[in-house]
Amino acid sequence: MNLEELAALHAKSLAEIEQAETPAALEQIRIRYLGRNGLLPAVMKQLKDVPADERPAFGRQANAWRQALDAALSTRGEALADSPAGTAPAFDSSLPGRWFATGAQHPVSRVIDEVTRIFGRLGFTVADGPDIETRFNNFTALNTAAHHPSMDAADTFWFDDDLLLRTQTSPVQIRVMLNHQPPVRIITPGRCYRRDTTDATHSANIHQIEGLYVDTRPVSLADLKATLATFAREMMGPGVGVRFRPHFFPFTEPSVEVDFSCHLCDGKGCRVCKQSGWIEIAGAGMVDPRVYRHVGYDPEKVYGFAFGMGVERIAMIRYGIADIRHLYENDLRFLTQFA
Amino acid sequence: MKVPISWLNEYVDVADIPVRELADKLTFSGVEVEGIEEIGVVLDDHFVVGEVLTCEAHPNSDHLHVCTVSDGTETLPIVCGAPNCRAGIKVALARIGAVVPEGGFTIKQAKRRGAVSRGMLCSARELKLSDDHDGIMILDADAVPGTPLRTILPPPETVLDLEITWNRPDCLSIIGLAREFAALLGRPLRMPGVAFETAGEPVEQLAAVRVEAPDLCWRYTARVLTQVEDGPSPAWMQRRLEQCGVRPLGLIVDVTNYVMLECGQPLHAFDHRHLADRTIIVRRAREGEHIRTLDGMDRTLDSEMLVIADAHEPAAIAGVMGGAESEIVEGTRTVLVESALFAAPSIKRTATTLGLRSESSHRFERGVDLDLADWASRRAVALLAQYGNARVAPGVIDADHRPAPQAPVRMRFQRAREVIGLPLAPETMIGHLTSLGLQTADSDSESATFAIPSWRVDLECEADLIEEVARLHGLDELPDIMPLVLAVPGTDDTRVRAVSLCRQTLLGFGLSEAMHYSFLSADELNTFDATANDRRLVLPNPVSADYAVMRDSLLPQLVQSLGRNFARQMEAPALFEIGRVFSQTPEGGLTEEEHLSIGFGGPFGRGALDRRRSVTNEEALLWLKGIAESLLCRLHAGEPAFEPAEHPAFEPGWGISVALAGEKIGLLGLIRGTLRHAWRMNVPMAVGELKLEPLLAGFDKREPLKPVPAYPGVRRDLALLVPASLTHERIVEAIREAAPESLTDIRLFDIFMPKETRGERRSLAYTLEFRSAERTLTDDEVNAACQKIIKAVSETLGAEVRAG
Ligand SMILES: [Zn+2]
Repeated sequence: MNLEELAALHAKSLAEIEQAETPAALEQIRIRYLGRNGLLPAVMKQLKDVPADERPAFGRQANAWRQALDAALSTRGEALADSPAGTAPAFDSSLPGRWFATGAQHPVSRVIDEVTRIFGRLGFTVADGPDIETRFNNFTALNTAAHHPSMDAADTFWFDDDLLLRTQTSPVQIRVMLNHQPPVRIITPGRCYRRDTTDATHSANIHQIEGLYVDTRPVSLADLKATLATFAREMMGPGVGVRFRPHFFPFTEPSVEVDFSCHLCDGKGCRVCKQSGWIEIAGAGMVDPRVYRHVGYDPEKVYGFAFGMGVERIAMIRYGIADIRHLYENDLRFLTQFA
Repeated sequence: MKVPISWLNEYVDVADIPVRELADKLTFSGVEVEGIEEIGVVLDDHFVVGEVLTCEAHPNSDHLHVCTVSDGTETLPIVCGAPNCRAGIKVALARIGAVVPEGGFTIKQAKRRGAVSRGMLCSARELKLSDDHDGIMILDADAVPGTPLRTILPPPETVLDLEITWNRPDCLSIIGLAREFAALLGRPLRMPGVAFETAGEPVEQLAAVRVEAPDLCWRYTARVLTQVEDGPSPAWMQRRLEQCGVRPLGLIVDVTNYVMLECGQPLHAFDHRHLADRTIIVRRAREGEHIRTLDGMDRTLDSEMLVIADAHEPAAIAGVMGGAESEIVEGTRTVLVESALFAAPSIKRTATTLGLRSESSHRFERGVDLDLADWASRRAVALLAQYGNARVAPGVIDADHRPAPQAPVRMRFQRAREVIGLPLAPETMIGHLTSLGLQTADSDSESATFAIPSWRVDLECEADLIEEVARLHGLDELPDIMPLVLAVPGTDDTRVRAVSLCRQTLLGFGLSEAMHYSFLSADELNTFDATANDRRLVLPNPVSADYAVMRDSLLPQLVQSLGRNFARQMEAPALFEIGRVFSQTPEGGLTEEEHLSIGFGGPFGRGALDRRRSVTNEEALLWLKGIAESLLCRLHAGEPAFEPAEHPAFEPGWGISVALAGEKIGLLGLIRGTLRHAWRMNVPMAVGELKLEPLLAGFDKREPLKPVPAYPGVRRDLALLVPASLTHERIVEAIREAAPESLTDIRLFDIFMPKETRGERRSLAYTLEFRSAERTLTDDEVNAACQKIIKAVSETLGAEVRAG
C-alpha cells in the first residue's frame, strides 16, 4: 500500500461514518476499520514493508487516520444517540449560545487609553511618576509662588513640610525634564489628589492627563492649537473645533483655557454645553521660562508647550455620566455598560 | 468681583456697547465672566407713586387690607396683603394694565374675597429691584402721587460677575477693569477728582506714625479729618456698595469701602479718640498678644503678624481687619484714614493662620499698586469732606519704605512671533503694550524695552510681555493646521503595552475593571488586617475619617465592592484593579508600589447552564489560581511557585502565596465567612493581590523557537487511587522519576473522591504523553514505560492503579 491508497481509504472511511444512519450501522463500520482484524491494524502491520524513506510520512498519515476515525465515530455516535433513528429534531437556533462574558474596562482607564493612543500617534510617549511628590516637583519647580492659594493645607494633602499627594501630574514633567535633554514629548496620565469633599462634580481622587513638548526649534501657541485641534477631532468627532481663551496658570505663559465646540449640538447650544456651544476641556500654554530654569534648561534655547485635562471630566462628557461618584462606586450594573 | 456697568462707565465709555459684547471682550482677553446680573427694569407709565389714603382690615380675611389709594388723579380701591400697609404712606402703585416685572402678569380689575381691587401695591422684588419681599416698598414721604416711578427709582443696572485670576490683582477694582477696557476698546480712561480744602491744625500735631517693621509695611500714609458728620452715605454710594456685595454701614466706613472697590487700595478709618497718645505704631505683634476684631472675635496673634498699634495695644491687624476698640461708632467726629502698602506674603500668612479673610487681605495678598496709597487716601478724604462736611487737617504723614520700582523689561519681536506663532508687526505689539499703560523706554528694529506701570506687579520678564501681546491681540487668528511631528529618539512604551496586555487579558477572562480611592478609613483597613496597622500611612489632614489612611492593600476595597455587587444580586461578580498601595518603611520613609488585585464571588467561570450547582472552596480557589497562572503565562512572567499561606482575612487553610524566581509577589485566598456575611454572601469569595512590576518584567522576552514534533506522540491514561493527603505535585514527581525521557507531558484530567473511601482516598486520573524526536515510539516501548511507572507509584506512594 502506498500513501495515495492510504489517503483514499481515509476519506472513504470518514464518508461511510457520516452516512451511518443507526448506532448499529456505525458499530459495523467501527469493527471494519478498528476491530482486531480491521483495516487500520492491517495497515499498521504493513508499515515495516514500506520503504525506509517513506516510513515516517506513512506512519504519520496512519496515525492521523486513526485520530480522525476516533473523532468521527464519536461525533457521529453522539449525533445518533441524541436522536432516535431518523427523527432528529431541527437545531433550535433560538437557544442561547454558550459564551464567555468578557469584563468591562473602567471608563476612566478607557479614556486614558484613548487619549494616550491619540497623542501616541502625534509622537507623545507615556511618562509616569509617584503619587507622593515633593514640594519642589509639585509646586516650586512649576513656578507656583510660595503664597499661591493652591498650596494651602485646605486644598492639598501634605504629609510633612516637603511631601504631599500630588495635586496634578505636572511634577512628572519636571522629573522627565530633570533627566532628559530636549526634545521631550510626553503625555502623563495619572492619579491626583484634591482636598475636595465628594459631591456630584468633585472627588478627592481624580485623574489627569498632561502633555509636554519641549524642543530646541521654535514651538508656538499655533503648534499647541494645532495639536489640541487634532486631538479634539480624533476624540470627539471630525466636526469639533478648538478655541483658546487667555487665562492664568503659574507654569505656562501665555496661558489659555481650551474649549472644544460641543460635539452634541454642533456648537448650536444644548444642556451639556450650557447653551454656549463650547465645552471647557483643558488648560494649556507655553512653558514659563522660570520652569525651564528650575530644571536646568536654558530658557533662551528651548521652546515648548504644555497642556492638561481632567480624565473624569472627559469621561463624564463623553459617556453622559451625570455624577462623578458613579466612577468610584464600582457598581457592575454601571461598569458593565462599558464592555 | 462684581462690576456695575454704570460705575465702570464713569471711567471709560462702555454704556454704548451691548453687555454681551463687553463680556466677550473680557472673556477673550483673560478675565472670565461668571455671570451677568440684571437689577431692575425700565417701568412704563402704569407704575406711579401712590398715596394710601385709608387702610382698613378686610372683613372676610385676617391678613388682607382694603385700601383707598390716590394715583394723583383718581382714588382707587385696592386690596393689599402686605403687613406694612398703612394709611399715609407713599407706595409703588401698579395700575390696571401694568405688567409686573417679577412674574410677568398683568394687573386687571379683580374681586378679592368680595372686595373690588383696581391695582396693586408692589414690593421691591416684584419690581426686580432687590430680593426684598417682606412688604410693599415705602417711598419717600415727599414723593408726589402720580409721578411715574421710573423718574424716582434708580435706573436699571447690569452687574458683571468676574473671576479675577491670581496674577491680576490690578483687576480687583472698577478703575483697574476700566483700564483694561480702555486698552481693549482703544478709548481713554478718566480718573475721578481728588481735590479738597484743608483747615485747622496740621496733621503732624494730631497724630504720629512710627513704622517699626519696614520689611512688612512698605508704606504708611495717614490723614486726619475733624468734625466729620457721620450718618448714612449718599443713596448712589449705598447702591453701588450693595451691587458689589458690600453692606452699607455709615458714611465713614462706606467711603473707605467705596474707594477700595473703586481703585483697589484697601483703606482703614480709626476713631481718633481711641488711639492712645494719638500714635500709630506699625510693628510685629507680641507673641500671644490679643485683639478683638470688628467681627467681635478675640484673636490671639503671633510674632510674625503685623499690627497697627497705638501706644499701648493693637488697634488693627494690618491689612486684614480692624479692631473693635477703635471702630467707627456713632459719635465719631475725628477720623484717621490709613492708606498703606503691606508685603503680600505677610498678609497671606496672617490671614491663613487666623483663618480670617477680608476684602482687604484678599487684595494685599495678591499685590496692590505700588503707587496708589496716597492717591487713594486723597480720594477718600475728598469724598468725606464733600459728603460728611469734614475739615481736613493739612498735610499727610507718609512713611515710605517702598522697594525699588520694577525694572524695565525688554521684549524681542522675533521671540514674541515665535512663541505666539503669528507674524505680528513690531508696531502692532508695541501698540498692544502701550495701550495697557506700559511705556516704551527704548526700542530698535529687533526689540523694545518697556517701563512697567506700578499697578502691574505681575509683569517681570519677557514672557510676561509676550503673554500680554497674545492676550490683547486675541488668539482667534491662530491657524488650525495639522501639526508637524518630528520623532523623539529613545522613547520606550514597553511598560504601557505590558500593562495594557495585562488589563486586556483580565477583561478577556470576564473580570471587570474597578477603581477605588487611594485612601479609606482605618476601621476598614483594620477589619481586613489589623497586623499591618503600624506600617500604614495616615493622612495628617484628611477630608474625613472615612478617607484618612492610605491603602496598603487593594483587597479591602475589592472585597467590599464584590460584596456590594453580590448584595445587588450579581450572581458571580468579578473585578480587578490596577492601583497603587502605600506604606511607611521602618525608617519612616514613604513608599508606594503598583499592585494588581483580582477577585470574584459565586459560580465564576461556569457556563450559563451550570450556575445553580453549589461552588466548593476548592473550585473557587482553583479558578483564582488558574486566572493567576494563565495571566502569568500570557505575560511571559515565568513559572510561578505556589505555597500554603495565611492572611487574617482568609479562611484558615485556604490561602496560597505566589512566588516568581524565588521572590514572593502576592497572595491568593478565600475570604473568611465572617467578613463575607456583611453582604449575606453564602458562596465563596476568592481574591488575590500581586505586585505588578514582576508580572510585567518578561513582557518582551521570547523563548527561542522549538522545532515542531516530527513524530506522533503516544498517549496512555493512568488512574490512581491514593491517600487523600497525597498532593498532585508528589504524584507528578513520582511519575517523572520513574519515566523515561520520552514522557513529554503529564496532564490531570479527572479528580474525585470515591464515596466508599469515606474521604480517605481520592482518585486522580492523568494522561501521559510519550514522544520521541527521532522516531515513532512502538506500543511495546510505551507499555513497558507505563508498567515501570505503575510499579513505582504503587510502591512509593501506595497508589492503587485503576484501569489502564
Ligand atoms: Zn451643546
